[in-house]
Amino acid sequence: MRCLLCGCEMQQGSLRDILFNEDIICEACRSKWERKKIDFRLDGIRVRSDYVYNDAFSECLIQYKECCDEALKDVFLYRIKDVIRKRYKGYTVCLMPSSTTKLAVRGFNHLAGMYESLGMKMIEPFEKVEEKDQKGAGRVERRNMEHGIRLKPDVQLPKKLLLCDDTITTGSTLKGALRVLDHNSHRIEIYCVSANHFWIQEKKGMLHFPYIQK
Amino acid sequence: MKCPRCQNTDPSYFYKGSKGWYCRRCISFQRIMVEESMQPVSLKPVKEDASEYTLQYPLTKEQKALSDTMIERIEDSDILCHCVCGAGKTELVVGVIGKYLKEGKKVCFAIARRQVVLEVAHRLQSYFMHASVIPVCGGHTDVTDGDLIVCTTHQLYRYYQAFDLLILDEPDAFPFYGNPVLHGIAETACRGKTVYLTATPDDTLKQKVQDGSLLSLRLHVRPHGKPIPVPVIHTAPVWILCMYLVLWLQVHADHPRIIFVPSISMCHRLARLISIFEKCFHVTSKDENRDEIIEVFRNSRNGVIVATTVLERGVTIPNVDVCVFAADSSSFNEAALIQMAGRAGRNFHNPYGDVLFLCREKSSLCHQCRKQIVDDNAYLYSGGALR
Repeated sequence: MRCLLCGCEMQQGSLRDILFNEDIICEACRSKWERKKIDFRLDGIRVRSDYVYNDAFSECLIQYKECCDEALKDVFLYRIKDVIRKRYKGYTVCLMPSSTTKLAVRGFNHLAGMYESLGMKMIEPFEKVEEKDQKGAGRVERRNMEHGIRLKPDVQLPKKLLLCDDTITTGSTLKGALRVLDHNSHRIEIYCVSANHFWIQEKKGMLHFPYIQK
Repeated sequence: MKCPRCQNTDPSYFYKGSKGWYCRRCISFQRIMVEESMQPVSLKPVKEDASEYTLQYPLTKEQKALSDTMIERIEDSDILCHCVCGAGKTELVVGVIGKYLKEGKKVCFAIARRQVVLEVAHRLQSYFMHASVIPVCGGHTDVTDGDLIVCTTHQLYRYYQAFDLLILDEPDAFPFYGNPVLHGIAETACRGKTVYLTATPDDTLKQKVQDGSLLSLRLHVRPHGKPIPVPVIHTAPVWILCMYLVLWLQVHADHPRIIFVPSISMCHRLARLISIFEKCFHVTSKDENRDEIIEVFRNSRNGVIVATTVLERGVTIPNVDVCVFAADSSSFNEAALIQMAGRAGRNFHNPYGDVLFLCREKSSLCHQCRKQIVDDNAYLYSGGALR
């Protein structure tokens, strides 16, 4: 089998590999990702993530999202899907919206592909109001985008919601989504595969983020 | 199935997504569907007076002969221009570029390494005063069309079937060497003839020469007509090598000295050792400001620099002496050794230099490299071209 990221032939020779090394990318590529649990609150909602948004992770995400490499869809959650399934039992995955033009170019919803392997119930209740490319946007512009998300008309939301995104950079997309949800009638949690740790460190002392676990 | 861009036919690289099959080998250049056909890129026509050129120095007798043969034979087949290090390869192809530009055809000069692109573009611009020479590489991608395009081999993906003449400089250099994606892209970028410029052709090129599909032109003489410095090989335990190196540095204290090492960690360690005795620079591929370090070293006249293979090609420092530490290491191949030895003695005024290979164990590669250089020099002695 070939590693999905670097293309090298994966060694499946030794007993150790057969027993323990069940992965779809090679060990060298996987070890470049830094796994670090993070747990904080965004507007009072618990946010958790498992990876650091470092160069290797962002490269992989760009290859998946911008170069439209659909084969990478299982790479992100491969090592952690059991943990997530257990942690969020009974929740329904709510995917963050992406722009329709991007969807048309890609031909697939990148978040749906990513979270598909969990086997949890999945809905897409949000849509974007204004079409704006987020890639080039700076931090200030991203903040202003908070209002750019709304609920789709006549959507039935279940009781327990898990908002999912690929990475949390400034949290503005998620804040926008939280704004349109009724916090009293739903139980909401947020999960992102990766998080920008610089931003969280920066906010450490502020009221919104009372604690950070290493 | 065949990828239209990188010419890949290996089935394990194809993946079926929701839109159909696509090639994953060249995925970093944006996804391309297998059934998609790429449109040939049409570039601006060449300006009329673009082909006029003036060289800084006139070509030597040998260079002139080779350049003329190249102009004559380019119509018939691809050409491998196999010249020794420091033979002035860029100047050799100026004639052929002029000929193509005169006919209004598109020419591209592709180089594996980014630093060299800017330098070569600058040099070619000074030869072709009236043409617009456009460097295209990471950080310089706003303008991608001109009379003469100088680019990295990665950027060739922009020019599908765009060039009548593609000049590939150092096809045996990292990252182009052994990278099938870049080879495929280079193949599709060129609709006409290809010229390879190298001092150390690899086996595929040699094979092509033997098949007769590639014409090999050889140049054994540097412009100054002096032989290439032959490396001295020493084999000893590491601690003796270190002592020897320090001694060697002191003997050659009035010249700039480059010490090549096989790995980044060794570069740092050796630099620390040498800095006990004298001030010493070190440069690796991890250094962001390596151009500045090299510039400071160049101006220091008798400095010492410890470098990994980043300095192996395309760097000319006058009067330099070269030492390769741990030359038996598996991260060097013969081409790299020849290139490193070729850093010495490139100056017109001082065509001599000292090359030292220090090995921890006996290495046939070093001896092969020395033999290659001795053979090149032997041609020079027998031909009586020694001036």
